[in-house]
Amino acid sequence: MNLERIPNEEKLGLSRRYYLGGFAFLPFLWLVNVLWFFREAFLKPTYTEQPQIKSYVKKSALGLIVWVAVLTTWITIFQHFRAQWGEVGDYLSFTIPLGTA
Amino acid sequence: MKQSFQFSLNSCCAAHSGLNRVMCVSAAAGVCSSSVEKKIYVELNETVPCVRLLNATHQIGCQSSMSGDTGVLHVLESESDLDWILSSGPHPPYIVIMETAFFNRSVMMRMKSSSRVAGVAVIVSKTGLADNFSPHTTCPNQNTGVYSASYGSDLANCNVTVWNPLGNGLSYEDFAFPVFALKDENQTQVIRKCYEDHNLRVNGSTPQYPLCAMQLFSHMHAVTDTVTCMRRTDLQNRFSINPEVLCDPLSDFNVWTSTRPLNSSAKGHAANESVVLAATRLDGRSFFWEQAPAAEGTVSGIVTLLAAIQALSPVTQEAPPPRNIFFTFFQGEAFDYIGSSKMVYDMEKNDFVIDLNNVHSMLEIGQVGLRSGQSLWMHSDPVSRKNDSVNEEVLDLMRRMQSAAAGLNVSLGHPLFTQPLPPSSLQRFLRARPIPGLVLADHQTLFNNRSPYYESMYDDAENLNVTYPPDLNPDEQLVYETDAAKSLAEVATLVARSLYLQAGGEEKSLSNITADPKIVSHVTNTHTRTHSRTHTRTHTHTHSVTHSRSLTHTHTHTHTHTHSLTHAHSLSHTLSHTLSLTHTLTHTHSRTHTHTHLLTHTHSHTHSHTHSHSHTHSHTLTHMLTLGVGVAVLLLSLLVTYFISSKAELLFSSACETPTTAY
Repeated sequence: MNLERIPNEEKLGLSRRYYLGGFAFLPFLWLVNVLWFFREAFLKPTYTEQPQIKSYVKKSALGLIVWVAVLTTWITIFQHFRAQWGEVGDYLSFTIPLGTA
Repeated sequence: MKQSFQFSLNSCCAAHSGLNRVMCVSAAAGVCSSSVEKKIYVELNETVPCVRLLNATHQIGCQSSMSGDTGVLHVLESESDLDWILSSGPHPPYIVIMETAFFNRSVMMRMKSSSRVAGVAVIVSKTGLADNFSPHTTCPNQNTGVYSASYGSDLANCNVTVWNPLGNGLSYEDFAFPVFALKDENQTQVIRKCYEDHNLRVNGSTPQYPLCAMQLFSHMHAVTDTVTCMRRTDLQNRFSINPEVLCDPLSDFNVWTSTRPLNSSAKGHAANESVVLAATRLDGRSFFWEQAPAAEGTVSGIVTLLAAIQALSPVTQEAPPPRNIFFTFFQGEAFDYIGSSKMVYDMEKNDFVIDLNNVHSMLEIGQVGLRSGQSLWMHSDPVSRKNDSVNEEVLDLMRRMQSAAAGLNVSLGHPLFTQPLPPSSLQRFLRARPIPGLVLADHQTLFNNRSPYYESMYDDAENLNVTYPPDLNPDEQLVYETDAAKSLAEVATLVARSLYLQAGGEEKSLSNITADPKIVSHVTNTHTRTHSRTHTRTHTHTHSVTHSRSLTHTHTHTHTHTHSLTHAHSLSHTLSHTLSLTHTLTHTHSRTHTHTHLLTHTHSHTHSHTHSHSHTHSHTLTHMLTLGVGVAVLLLSLLVTYFISSKAELLFSSACETPTTAY
């Protein structure tokens, strides 16, 4: 969708929806929010709705960073220690590789 | 602008037709790919892998990667070759082709700790074979016998007698690379030729790519230990759409019969039955999968006991002795006494036709094939003999055996009183009850003089001295009476007569008990042949007419890491009694873990294993090339996308289109 042709209120509405939607454990919505509205929020000349869009983009970025940190940490720990956890590791796994620990 | 537009159209068309051509080529390649594969790879057939086995705490055996392990071929013929492979060769990883002489512990352990070895292929041949080779441990089943800290602690862990001192324990090591045995001489020649043509060092110069390579594929599913593996199999069965079986327990059947019929459906103590147990083992193992001929280790015992059963059958009909004689063949004894421990367990739980109170005494037939100077040894347990009544019974049994040996070409001896029992099923019975018993064997102390290839693939007919005159065809060989068979017939006669006396029979009937050397020869010849399975099957059909009983057998489970002998088939034409099979799982598996026994031994599932060799080009070159081309294509496509995107209005709007205005 081309943001050029959309009125500013609709842009604000879109950004808000993406921001709120990301709270439903959907960090990719926040990612899209950040990437899509970055130019609108920071690089365009000021217009009325811009400060709010800016705040949504900033908060989405924050949420995104938190998610990335948490997921990276968990994935690293799981991949490293799954074999040592024995039974717990097996119950947490969806697919267990064959032939290696 | 118009001109450039048309130019771009033309270039699109050219690209499109180019794409079509590429697709055609790949389609053609798809059709012809199998013959291309044949030009690159040579598939090797007569190969046997080493597989992974698990017990309650460990894994042993070999494992390959999921898509096979590939490496540059190198033939190991001297020590300098080993150094080349392990440190100085420029094209690691290597697949090591090994002569028989190098398949020993020191070489294998050095390779185990190296990351430059991708796999090993052992040439199986008798040339260069050392005088002894036993991949089993030095003290077989040391933790599951009767000797422990609480029973004969000074005899435990082979403190007094090491039974297999030359055992190198290779079968119980865990290798991270595949190990295969090459059995076909012609294919080995092909491999050697490939190596000599491409990989051989000439005058110290290192060979360059392309080199001859080999891929070994024997991926094992199971890992860690039995508990983990069974748990993962459960999880797969419950939650996965395509459940994969990871491992199977080692299970099979014990075979038993008796001179006086017992009601096989009645369980628990059998009233008024006093039974003499005659036992032997039915299994063997080796380093490689299902390559356990076990001629001296197992077949000698089986043949002897079968012949004894056959010798006893007429006399026990005419003049039945007071006690019953109970013959049993235990399966899985190599793996912590699977069969005998199951029978003892069932007897204790009153889940068997007799129980331990019915057992009067026990005679076990160990390795009896290679007597030197006609002597056999009667091994007994010194700890239980400290009890006077047990000692009396054992001495009686020995006396009866001595009197049974009169007139036979056998001289019986007894090893030192302080020597413990060798690894035998009797040990499992002694764990439950101090039963008077003897183990008959051809070795006085350690195995190796008599059985230099204990539990290895070289314990074959030749090791048992089963040799035929050169001019016989296979059918004539089957009925030829070898010297080994005659010797075993003597032993069988001794065993039969001793059992008869032990069961309370009269001395006067002894001379009627003789093992028939013809039957002994036939059974020996059958069981020591590599293709004994198919041959015995056809024989059963011809003999079933003459003998009354047919069998319910055979193992429904063939998931055993043992030489699956067609014991029941041969039994059918030597017996006229019903045979019964009792299923032996490696102890019982209980989910609630209230049992003290747990499933211990399992073996891994695997997809089919293969073995192929090829030429290979340098890995780094192809990888770099592929990576470079990929990155270049990526950059090119990004560039093209950027250009198209920036010139979008030019490319995609026609001259007369009115652009819609957004406000």
